Amino acid sequence: MNFKPLFEKATKVGFEAIQIKYSESRSVDLEVFKGDLDKHEISDSKGLVLEGIYQGKMGKMSTENIDESFFDSWLQTLKSSAEAVESEDPVVIYEGDDAYKEVEGVYSEALETLSVEAKKKIVFELEERVRNADDRIDISEAFYSESSRYVLLENSKGLSLEKRVNHAVLGAHIVAKANDDSRSAFDYIQSNQPQDFNTDELVENVVERGTSMLGAAPIESGKYDVIIENRTSANLLGAFLSMFKAENVQKGLSKLKGKLNEPIAHAQVSLIENPFMEKSPKSTGFDGEGVATYKKHIIDKGVLKTYMHNLKTAKKDSVESTGNGFGGGISHTNLFIEPGEQSLDTMLKEMGDGLFITSLQGLHSGTSAISGDFSLQASGYVVKDGKLDKPVSLITVSSNYLELLGTINTIGSDLKFTFSYLGSPSIRLNAMSVSGK
Amino acid sequence: MLEKSVLERIINEALESSADFAEVFVENTLQNSLSMQDSAVQKALSNELKGVGIRIAKGYKSVYGHTNKTDEQSLMALTKDLKTAFSGNRVRETVKLGTIQSKNNHKVKTYPNEVDVAEKVTLLKRADKAARLYSKDIKQVNLSYMDTVQEVVIASSESIFVKDARVRTRLGINSVASNEKDMQHGFNGPGGSYGFEFYDQIEVEEEAREASRIAVTMLYADDCPSKTMPVVIDNGFGGVIFHEACGHSLEATSVAKNASVFSGKKGEKIGSDLVTAIDDGTIANAWGSANYDDEGLPQKRRVLIDKGVLTSYMVDQLNGRRMNEASTHSSRRQSYRFAPTSRMSNTYIDNGESTFDEIIENTEYGLYARKMGGGSVNPSTGDFNFSVMEGYMIRNGKIAEPVKGATLVGTGKDALKKIDMVGNNLLRSQGMCGSVSGSIAADVGQPTIRIASITVGGRKEDAS
Repeated sequence: MNFKPLFEKATKVGFEAIQIKYSESRSVDLEVFKGDLDKHEISDSKGLVLEGIYQGKMGKMSTENIDESFFDSWLQTLKSSAEAVESEDPVVIYEGDDAYKEVEGVYSEALETLSVEAKKKIVFELEERVRNADDRIDISEAFYSESSRYVLLENSKGLSLEKRVNHAVLGAHIVAKANDDSRSAFDYIQSNQPQDFNTDELVENVVERGTSMLGAAPIESGKYDVIIENRTSANLLGAFLSMFKAENVQKGLSKLKGKLNEPIAHAQVSLIENPFMEKSPKSTGFDGEGVATYKKHIIDKGVLKTYMHNLKTAKKDSVESTGNGFGGGISHTNLFIEPGEQSLDTMLKEMGDGLFITSLQGLHSGTSAISGDFSLQASGYVVKDGKLDKPVSLITVSSNYLELLGTINTIGSDLKFTFSYLGSPSIRLNAMSVSGK
Repeated sequence: MLEKSVLERIINEALESSADFAEVFVENTLQNSLSMQDSAVQKALSNELKGVGIRIAKGYKSVYGHTNKTDEQSLMALTKDLKTAFSGNRVRETVKLGTIQSKNNHKVKTYPNEVDVAEKVTLLKRADKAARLYSKDIKQVNLSYMDTVQEVVIASSESIFVKDARVRTRLGINSVASNEKDMQHGFNGPGGSYGFEFYDQIEVEEEAREASRIAVTMLYADDCPSKTMPVVIDNGFGGVIFHEACGHSLEATSVAKNASVFSGKKGEKIGSDLVTAIDDGTIANAWGSANYDDEGLPQKRRVLIDKGVLTSYMVDQLNGRRMNEASTHSSRRQSYRFAPTSRMSNTYIDNGESTFDEIIENTEYGLYARKMGGGSVNPSTGDFNFSVMEGYMIRNGKIAEPVKGATLVGTGKDALKKIDMVGNNLLRSQGMCGSVSGSIAADVGQPTIRIASITVGGRKEDAS
């Protein structure tokens, strides 16, 4: 669709500037449950987000009902949205940067052209391998989830950017059962290259994770040295990510207010955002506001270097946007705790005795992103003489995320990313408060 | 909305295969939302969803496709693509849809789209003012207002042809209290299947002060001790414990696959005699109510547990085929973007006989969880955890000092058996429930209950 006439109409009715984000997405979701194809979903959709500055305020609307005949009514809706806004915050529609990095490896023709039959075969095989791996496997599920997205960002100031990404996740979920005890586990691979979906390691991991947790029980309450596994640590980071967003800092909702260029974490800790990572659907050369993205340290060797900014928060703080303006707010591309040197095995050996935590539950409720406090149900293993010993469940670990970052003992080398492309290696902490029996 | 003849052609095209079930879900939804921070409107958004979901099944195997290219040609192309999953000869006769059904038990007086934005802003200002005036410790108030009108047409091969309009509105108040030492927040979010008249029925200022009261109380609270102890969970949002720990495990989504701790337990005793639990999607204008479920069957009241005995699961048509049970009309979905599955509507533990005072007086030592936060559960193991938003210690049968940071940890099947007192003060409260078919409006509820013994996680080491 040609949006130029919309821009012209907008100017005529008094908008200072107007911007559209048009997207098209397609997806395929397959799920095999105990040998049967249990889910097969496809989608093909489009969406439009409009933003316009009217009398100094930003109006906003979104719609899936996209047709040129709605141009006038859209502008009317945008106008009344702008008129309702009272915030004196600066509003910006961006004219664009001089140059944008062409991000490579984010769209794969090979994935797009792989037939649905071939995709089904991968999932069926994975499920069968998992199911047959151990007698105690009571429930086995495998899934494949693929999405492909095209985005067009244009505005009345002449900006016109587009991108195309695709990506898939292949995963398996099991429930192992023995002696009236059930334990679930899951693991996954994400990529946009079909050849990366090698399932050997995946099968081994998910089966081992489920079966070794059988018979898990709480341990005595007390202080324990703890290693939090890579993806669990990444999930924990996700629960506290809002601390690093300038909008929360400016509104007094982050304990990191006033801490720029001060140490907020142990000197080993660096938190890096890399928008140019291959095979990640989050990678992009421009953010949702049309600002060029770049690789940066948010925490550099323990020191807070920057908050994540969009155009609005940057203008407030008189800094440049960090290219983190997404979806009207602030978000990350690929964000991770920089890995260290030690393998997980070495970390376990060095710790000797303690706990290895493989799962934290209740991250959306047992955490306060404002204070940094958390109290979460955990499960994992007792570590004895550097080796995983008996499984542990129904314990609660409690701390404060900033305290945790400040007292990290070791950062591992085993970086792993979550579905939302937050990454962390396994991390070791001393004397964590654990409540159990 | 699509014409009846188009719907018939899609359904019959889908059945031009070995499939024995075909369904079309047509949606048009208008949503408005406002957010306020620093006492000023930050954002005013409107959103329109328009799309179609097509589901084809054979036995309990199904395929689902959705699109917002809603012309007949695109929909036919999608249908043809989907039905390839079921090759073979036609098994169903030509489907003819009857007269469209529509009943409305949830009358709305003022459709939100007919209300001027300025009136919605006034509402937020009243709440903001009341929340701030509550205490000088309240440093920030985040408010949200939302309304939604979801119009759906559902047609399927099972003689279903209905339309429904789901109108909902909700006000969310999040008060932040802080001093040099700490920052705590309190939330309150009343809502219902009403139009704008909802705000004449509630005391907006009182709802706002409630959020601030929680935040300020927790600002001066001590850390909760870690210990196994009796816990008294108050009425209203306390019902999230049943929702998470048991409700999800009673949904066919997990039961049908034998993935629930309650699979195969119908007719068995799963809770204490004091526990009767109900899921009722028919309560007039309640947050989680609707006229029809998302497979077009009329919403119902379901007794899930009767005096401790499991009497009904929540079942949708396809999972019902797997379980060999009839649908309990429990199919729900966030939007056309999701295939529907069995979900809760308004779920609560029914009244017992104890008074609130009796429950507290009979508790020598324990935790009084006055307001619960959210929680989650692993449906295959029943492991759950909840955060306590507002908690107090109970000492010598009296409510004592406030405590913060408490988490309740346990398993659903144990907790149900350990409920040893149930109050007579049933109250429902609103929440958003997230699961495989998306995020949907759901009421939780209960009277004040006592769990005889449960693990409480906190930051303070064992103390009494």
